Amino acid sequence: MRKKLVAMLILAMTGTMFLGGCGSDGGSGSGGGDGKSGGKVKIRFASWDEAEDVDAQQAAVDKFNDAHDDIEVTLEAYGGEFDTKISAGMGSNDMPDVMYMWNYPAYSQGLEPLDTYIEKEGEDYKKNFYDTLWNYNSYDGSTYGIPIGFTTHALFYNKDIFAEAGIDEPTNDWTWEDVQAASKTITEKCEGKKGFSFQMKPDPYDYEMYLWSNGTAYVDAEGTLEGNLNSDKAKEVFQMFQDMEKEGSAVATEKSGTDEFRAGNTGMYVYGSWSINTLKEDGVNFGVVNIPSFGSQPSISILSSSGISMSKDSKNKEAAWEFIKFWTSEEMNKERIGMELPVLYSVVESEGIMEQPEYAPFYTMLEQSSDYTPSSFIYGSWSELSENLSLSFERVFNPSAMENVSDVLDEAAQQ
Amino acid sequence: MKMSKISKTIIYILLGIMALYFLSPFVYMLFTAFKTEAEAVAYPPKLFPAKWLWQNFADAWNAQPFGTFLWNSLLVTVGTTLGQVISCSLVAYGFARFNFKGKNVLFMVLLSTMMIPWDVTMIPQYMEFKMFGWINTLKPLIIPAWFGSAYYIFLMRQFLMGIPKDFEEAARIDGANAFQIYWKIFMPILKPSLILVGVLNMISVWNDYLGPLIFLQDRSKYTLALGLAAFKGVHETQIIPMLCITIIMIIPPIIIFIIAQKYIVEGTSGSIK
Amino acid sequence: MKQKRISRKAIPYLFILPWIIGFLVFTIGPLIFSLVMSFFDWPLAADPKFVGFGNYIEMFTSDKQFSKSLIISLKYAAIFVPLNMIIALFLAMLITQPVRGVKIFRTIFYIPTVISGVAVSILWGWILNGDYGVLNYLLSLLGIEGPKWLVDPAWAILAVIIASAFGVGSMMLIFYTDIKNIPIDVYEAATIDGANPARQFFSITLPIITPTILFNLITSIISSFQQVTLVMLLTGGGPLKSTYFYGLYTYNNAFKHHKLGYASANAWVMFLIILVLTALVFKSSSAWVFYESEAGGVAKKGKKSKRGGKR
Repeated sequence: MRKKLVAMLILAMTGTMFLGGCGSDGGSGSGGGDGKSGGKVKIRFASWDEAEDVDAQQAAVDKFNDAHDDIEVTLEAYGGEFDTKISAGMGSNDMPDVMYMWNYPAYSQGLEPLDTYIEKEGEDYKKNFYDTLWNYNSYDGSTYGIPIGFTTHALFYNKDIFAEAGIDEPTNDWTWEDVQAASKTITEKCEGKKGFSFQMKPDPYDYEMYLWSNGTAYVDAEGTLEGNLNSDKAKEVFQMFQDMEKEGSAVATEKSGTDEFRAGNTGMYVYGSWSINTLKEDGVNFGVVNIPSFGSQPSISILSSSGISMSKDSKNKEAAWEFIKFWTSEEMNKERIGMELPVLYSVVESEGIMEQPEYAPFYTMLEQSSDYTPSSFIYGSWSELSENLSLSFERVFNPSAMENVSDVLDEAAQQ
Repeated sequence: MKMSKISKTIIYILLGIMALYFLSPFVYMLFTAFKTEAEAVAYPPKLFPAKWLWQNFADAWNAQPFGTFLWNSLLVTVGTTLGQVISCSLVAYGFARFNFKGKNVLFMVLLSTMMIPWDVTMIPQYMEFKMFGWINTLKPLIIPAWFGSAYYIFLMRQFLMGIPKDFEEAARIDGANAFQIYWKIFMPILKPSLILVGVLNMISVWNDYLGPLIFLQDRSKYTLALGLAAFKGVHETQIIPMLCITIIMIIPPIIIFIIAQKYIVEGTSGSIK
Repeated sequence: MKQKRISRKAIPYLFILPWIIGFLVFTIGPLIFSLVMSFFDWPLAADPKFVGFGNYIEMFTSDKQFSKSLIISLKYAAIFVPLNMIIALFLAMLITQPVRGVKIFRTIFYIPTVISGVAVSILWGWILNGDYGVLNYLLSLLGIEGPKWLVDPAWAILAVIIASAFGVGSMMLIFYTDIKNIPIDVYEAATIDGANPARQFFSITLPIITPTILFNLITSIISSFQQVTLVMLLTGGGPLKSTYFYGLYTYNNAFKHHKLGYASANAWVMFLIILVLTALVFKSSSAWVFYESEAGGVAKKGKKSKRGGKR
């Protein structure tokens, strides 16, 4: 029906302008077309990688093209504007054949379910991926993406600052009480520095990990907020962060907190593996450990997963799958080390990733977090809920608001 | 009229204050472009880099095929500016110097087209360009400009309406036709505003990244602004290369502006004293 | 002879023909399309569902953000539009002064306009950061504790205004071009009459540039309602949604929540509001805008029925 309606509107649009019929070369058009020219099947591949990684990607794409006489993949790199582009493409029924994907709840309707393709590859293909990742690349019972990378969160700390304050560095067994104590000492002993930082306006998707770590979540399996988002355990979490900010040992940052950590203004913060390259380049003397726990159970992390998906409207699905297989192979996992954390057991082992102290915690957190499903996969209109939650969190953490945790969460749960 | 010393001093003080506001963020950006990333985020901030890293600019330029992007940007900018200047002056002349049936309605329609945000017309526009086979070409960025844009038409019309009515009467009596009057009488005195439209259009096209983002696909078709935006990632932004390219991108429009300044003044009978 | 008369009637249409073709080919279709969309529940990839006036009803009844964002944008427009125009005119007057080195200042004032919007937003984010920003650092050297610009809702809208006034150069240039086009003899006559500079400005310059004032007024009303890029990158609509402008609200409904139909309805309501404002401005303009082409002894041929009150 959608297509019919769109076609009718387009016809009406062009009918008014091309009475003479000079627009008759329309129809299939040559923009995306049937994707065939010169005997080669053309595959459009869209990624969100930023400028400096694109050359490496292009080289990998070229490699694939050289090995395949009948397929030609073109790389389209959209960086931070990826979502705008994909939304526009999906809204206009003109999507890339293959694209990076993370937000399955929002885009699944435009994507091809990949379960039958995966089955054809045999058991071992699927088994080699870290199991948790499949949850994050599925929606409503179907798999829509093959994992290519991920990050969990972990606690970053600045070794120099800990040395300056004369206290022990964090370990994988730290609890939040340890963090609070260390923060206090750092803030007192190091002039102009804060022990800990967290985001003033955290992305609700990320923040749910703290609720999980304390034994609750935004919603239950039925998607009910009441009694979950505003449960005592949830309130405890928010209260703890707010208290740290109030007593001055932590600062709530306007952005992710990476800049403050890089500049050596903060001693610790929790973040994904995104900043590792930057911190190394800057020469920051840092360490990474598991997210601190609330004491009673191991801490849990959210997963930010990257997958690679196929458009359901792709005209060359076999070729697209061929490319997806290539892109998710062991070879490519190795190739992407430094840009993405590898997602295959075999690669993590062969490359000795677990022996690298700055990467190992992300895998420990991955293993520890396997049984959790983010509310974004459960709650129907997540993007709107997320916007409301974001505002509620800000009311708690913004120093010019600092509202009562209990009141704000109770109100938020009434939506 | 000669200006007194006091008023000159006042003018310099005012110019200085305003220059401080406009220039200091720019200068800060310029100096930061020479720093390392670590220096750029350091606090307390320092104005000067520890070492002037000219290499930053070369690195940034080589991070992406900016040579290609520059060529595309030039094509789009020159292409649209020519089209915009020609068609806007024609259309504005039509609206400003004639009376015809439906003029007011048409003019309101013209203004109305500026009032709907691009967010919601973009998707149908995309489908239309796709039907033309224009996606992944520079055509959607250039061709529509040849049919005038409401903003510049409106601007030109305002200038044209500021010219006294009897201006063309003499020529009309001489037997010149409407196009001759437009071309021979109005174009010369409109030169400053034509240059103005050209400059304004150039700047906005040069920096536009949403249009290229939506309508282009291959990197070989990208424009500078789109390459610039690509330094901004989903999680991290490569700030130093971004600033370097920003600064490089400022240079051509500034040169054009400095040249254009002269013509904007030249078109009239002299400066105000 | 007869043929000639017909062609004379057609002449104005020939002049505006480029725009008419462009309008029919590129503009009207997408406009109608988006109007149609506004009556649908139109998700990104699934089937659209006709909902009649449902989207419009939702906006006015259950969506609290609609009126909030509308008020924020109105407030912004009310402050920003006049402020920006006064600064632009002030600068334009400054750079027409015949003092040495004025050309350099002209370029300086224009530079910010040339800088890409993305970079400008990031730059101001650094400068205005409350804890680690350059501006507050400089203020602290003077012993002043600067406000948390992008965190305190009371200051955030001012921060946005400061950052957007940075791009005033285009408007300045428009005024400048117009002032430069004022024939010199007009001023000379005034000088002989003994008018001082202030009187010259109010009785000569200002009336002559009223057409461009009208232009800048209308276009900046429109652009302040459509302000998206800067707030999206600088404040993200925050703090506490205090800069969640109507443009951003529409954009997010379309590209974040993927409610294309609803976003279209947002856009068309905005269209009506701007249209009414523009119409009011145009109506009032007959009282304050002075067109040379309509002045003098030459008969005015029923110009602009909307501004019929002029004579």
